Formats: sequence, C-alpha cells, structure tokens
Amino acid sequence: MKRKFIAFFPVLFLGLALATGCEKRIATEDFSEAAPGAEAPSAGKAEVTVPEENLKSEDVTAEDIQNSADAKTGGQYASLNAAEDLTQKAVEKGHLYTIYFDYDKYTIRESDMDFLTKNAKWLGINPKTKVRIEGHADERGETDYNVALGDKRARSIRKYLEDMGIGVERLDVVSYGEEKPAVNGSGEDAWAKNRRAEFVITAN
Amino acid sequence: MAKKFIPLLIMLFTAFSAPAWGKVYIDLAAPSRSALPVGVQEFRDLGPATSAQDKEKREEIKKELYDAIVTDLKFSGFFKVIDKKANIEDPSMSGLTEAETDFKSWRAIGADALVKGGFLLEGDKLTVEIRFFDCVTEKLVTGKKFAGSAKNPRRIVHFFSDAVYEELTGKKGVFTSKLLFVSGSGGNKEIYVSDYDGKNATKLTRNRSINLAPQWAPDGSRMLYVSYKRGTPAMYSLDLTTGRDDALSSKSGINIGGMYSPDGKKVALTLSGERSPELYVLDLETKEYRKLTDNNAIDVSPTWSPDGRMLAYVSDSSGNPHIHVLDLSTGNSKRITFKGKYNSSPSWSPDGRHIAFSRSDGGRFNIWVMGPGGEGLAQLTFDGDNRHPSWSPDGRHIVYSSSGGGGSLKIIRSDGTGVMKLDTGVKGEKAPAWSPYLR
Repeated sequence: MKRKFIAFFPVLFLGLALATGCEKRIATEDFSEAAPGAEAPSAGKAEVTVPEENLKSEDVTAEDIQNSADAKTGGQYASLNAAEDLTQKAVEKGHLYTIYFDYDKYTIRESDMDFLTKNAKWLGINPKTKVRIEGHADERGETDYNVALGDKRARSIRKYLEDMGIGVERLDVVSYGEEKPAVNGSGEDAWAKNRRAEFVITAN
Repeated sequence: MAKKFIPLLIMLFTAFSAPAWGKVYIDLAAPSRSALPVGVQEFRDLGPATSAQDKEKREEIKKELYDAIVTDLKFSGFFKVIDKKANIEDPSMSGLTEAETDFKSWRAIGADALVKGGFLLEGDKLTVEIRFFDCVTEKLVTGKKFAGSAKNPRRIVHFFSDAVYEELTGKKGVFTSKLLFVSGSGGNKEIYVSDYDGKNATKLTRNRSINLAPQWAPDGSRMLYVSYKRGTPAMYSLDLTTGRDDALSSKSGINIGGMYSPDGKKVALTLSGERSPELYVLDLETKEYRKLTDNNAIDVSPTWSPDGRMLAYVSDSSGNPHIHVLDLSTGNSKRITFKGKYNSSPSWSPDGRHIAFSRSDGGRFNIWVMGPGGEGLAQLTFDGDNRHPSWSPDGRHIVYSSSGGGGSLKIIRSDGTGVMKLDTGVKGEKAPAWSPYLR
C-alpha cells in the first residue's frame, strides 16, 4: 500500500508543471541541501518578512456610550431609562399590556386585541404620555429576519393605535429582533413569551 | 503496479490542476479518504539557552507553531496528521536537513510526508523556518524561512502555509484570511475578528450596545455592521486600518443586513422607513438610495452575485421565508426555493455558481447549497442547528454558526466533508463572515 506514494511528489510536480506551466517555482526556494540544521538560521539567507497585524477596533465616542447605556441589560423591559418607574406602575395597574404574537407572524391575535384596546384607552386618557413600542422575536430564525419581524410587529401595533386615534407622534417604534429575550431558554414556553411587543413610557 | 497509480493520478490532476482546466471545486474532486499521512515534528528551538522567563515564552511559541501548522495541514484537506505521540525521532537530536533526518523512523509510523521546523526568538523578532519532506524519496519538497513579530507566532505559520499552498496548487491559500463574528448576550453583543481558524479573536466594537451582522468590504479594509449604539438599528462602517467609524445609514426604522457590492461602491441593505422592510441599494458616492422591492412582506439579507448584477435575498412574500433572486438590470425577482418552512441567510459563492443558505423544516436549521437558479440542491450538514453560511475567498470552504454544545463556529468543505470546530475562546459565536483575501 505504502509504495504507491513513492510517486506522489514527482507526480504532484508534473501535475503542477502542467497546470501552472512554471516548473521553476517548484521545490526548494531558499533552502539548499546545505541549509543549517541544528544551528541558528544563517545570516544573509533570504527570509520573508511577515508584516505585523494591524487591525484597529472601533474608536468609541462618548455619544455612543451614552446612547447605548439603555441597551445594556437584557430581560423584559430591558431598555428602561428614567421613565422606568412609570412603565412599571402602568403595567402593574393594568394600564399597559405586552402584546404577544404567533410564530413568524406580525398580525395581532384575536386574543390580544382586548389588551391592546386597553392600552389604547389608557393612552387616550393620558394625552401627554409618549411610549416606545419595542418589537421582539423569539430565538428561532435569522438575525436580520427577526429584526425585520420585530419591526413589523411594533408597526402593526402602532398602526392599530393610530387607527384608534392615538397621535403617531406619541408612538415611537424600535425592533430588537431576537436580541433581548424576555425569558431565557428554548422551547415553546420561552419562545411564546419572547414573541412580543412591549410598551415603554418615554415621556409623561 | 501501474494500476495503483491511476487513482492517484486522477486525484492529482482533478485536484491540483483545477485552475488550468476550470474544474468546479478542488474539494469536490479530492475526497478526504485520499488524504496523505504526514508526520509533524515539534519545532526546534534554534536559540541558545537563556533566562527562565524567556524559556517559558519559547515553550509557548513552540506549542503555538506546532498547533498552527497542524491546523493548516488538516484544513487543507490534503493531509491527515499523525498523532505526535507516535513520533519516534527525537526533535532535540535530529536536524532540519535531509541528511539529519531518520526517514525510516517516520515511514515506520506511516508518514509519507514530514514537516519539520525550527525557530529563533530574538527580542520581539521571531524567525521561523519550516520544511516539507517526502519520506519515501527522502527528499526535501520545499522549505521557507519567515520572520515576524513574536507576538503572533501563528501568523508566521499561516504565511508559510499560504506560500506552500500556492506553490503546490497554483491557487492562493486562505490561511491568512480572517473571520468576523458576533458574540455576547443580555443586550450586549460585540463584533470580533479572528484568524480563519478562530484563533487570536479580538473585539472590534466596544460600545457595549448590540452590534450585529458584520460584513467585509471587498478589499478587506473596512467592516460594515449594524449597531444599536445610538438607539435604533443603524448601519456603520468601521475602517479597520484607522479605527475610524462612520454612520452609513441611519434612516428611521431599521437599517439592517448590509452588504458591500463586489466593486465596493454600493451597499445593499434593508430599510423599513415608514412602512415595511424593503431592499435598497445605497450608492456610497451619491448617498442615494434605490428602492428594489415594494410589497408588504419582509425582504432581508441581500447577497451580491460576484458580477454585481444580481442579489439573492430572503422574502416572506409567499407566506414564509424563501430565497429569491433579483436581477438589478430589470428589477425582476424570482423565487428559487420551494421547500422548507424557513430558508434564510443566502451567501453567493465567490465563483458565482452556488448559493449557500440555511433551511429549517420547522425544527433545526441546516446548511444547504444550490445553483443560482435553485437547481442542484445539496444538504451539507445534518445534525445540530446550523446557520448563517459564509464562503471562504477560494470557495472551498464555508463557515457557519452551530448551536451544538453551547454554540460555536464550524468550517465545512463545500462538498460537505471535513467539519472543523473552531475554538475562538469566545462563547456563543454567531453570524460569521469570512474575509476576502487579505494580501
């Protein structure tokens, strides 16, 4: 078995010579039979210089850090800022509900329509309140698609609220795709909780 | 005797002469079972014995050099590396020349080829010489000497591998190419760059926000990515040579999935504006957007054909996500996948003949390849959850993210053989993008 490889390299070079039409490039370039062995590489022998690695990372600005501060933590209501308390209270009092979606869908479910209507009513009697509608997707599917899906979800909610008479200038939308799950883990239970649109109060 | 040479000849001519006769893929003709057994000797320290601290560093270099050359040999697909525990010849006793090599001892462990190397550390300068022998004819095949920074011994080996690969195949090696990928959790995802084998992973973004979907400029000098660092998903371009970061597209709504055109003058991306996510092409000179799709569906993840005339992308216009191809001269779109519940992340091969993508039938995703018209479908992966393929610049390999075992990056040959798991030292890697040739 072993013997068939005797011809490996000669054949290889024949193949190469035919392929590249350049026999001279083959075999020993810098190295002769007399190349130093256990000694240090001799001076003057051609060596190829490998250029140093020089990849620069992002030059982060203060603006970037400040604006990304609200994106730091995960979990539900991940992006809360100064209005955190307000949002929490509104949720606890049953004024603002998170709306959930079916897999790969951005139409509002029949079963969630009541909750969305409650949100609309509360926004109707609190005309100064502004909210950000945050669209999310579960971890299945691809990053890009899920950002688009979250965007569609947030927008379908905004459209509904707009149709209910809420001024669109009070309704900001942002999609986080699958990047900010409400709960960690896999399986339908977790996924169902992550396919959602959250309401965050941004001004009151 | 003559009979035995026939398969070998076929292998060599189909594999190595591919560039001359324009065969499809080198790897399609080089089954891994004909990989040549190669022995690799530990690198020999050619410097004098000095301080203990220096010695530690040299031991580390020795290890890195060995690991890098073994990785490169395996990755090439032409060799299988014999476990070094089997090596008989003592590296501290033998030399680096033919005369100083006991070829018999290498043949005894089944090695048909042999790689030996030495290194010399002088301050921050590291000189590495590597030689490649035929154990049967007992001849030196090729040898080279490279000098570089001692900070990155692996880089020197990859330069050697590139040079030898080109010498042996007539094609450029991808050993000095790089990967971009995303890692992180809990509202903080940053973009990293690593060597092709996942080593030397370094953070490129540092804004502590969510950063996604990195893509290379065609000349490798810049990176396109999506970041939430200013609140909403907008597109940025980071110059990797200067660190300068520019906002490229920050329209209201989402600005995602951007990819440079092959000439680097345009970017295909998705904007949702005031309505629905549509495909656009942004001209980087005039800053004008050209709208390509107009519907109520999701249109995302564009990938350019290498001639810059077409875009493959994902659309759910037929109810669920499928791959479509859009002709930029006519504006017409054609759906090219019809099976699977979820088809996504198309990636056009460098030679234009294939589109890799991921597909799920309601469960896990796997990597598939097809022709640009949807013909010649082939499934490449079968286990785990595998997504987001990206081609090596020579089209021989595909990198993808795999959720198996906590998530990692893997490389597979484009014929579906030779899966290699990458160890980046960073957890939960996603969305890899293989660089173009970087030199």
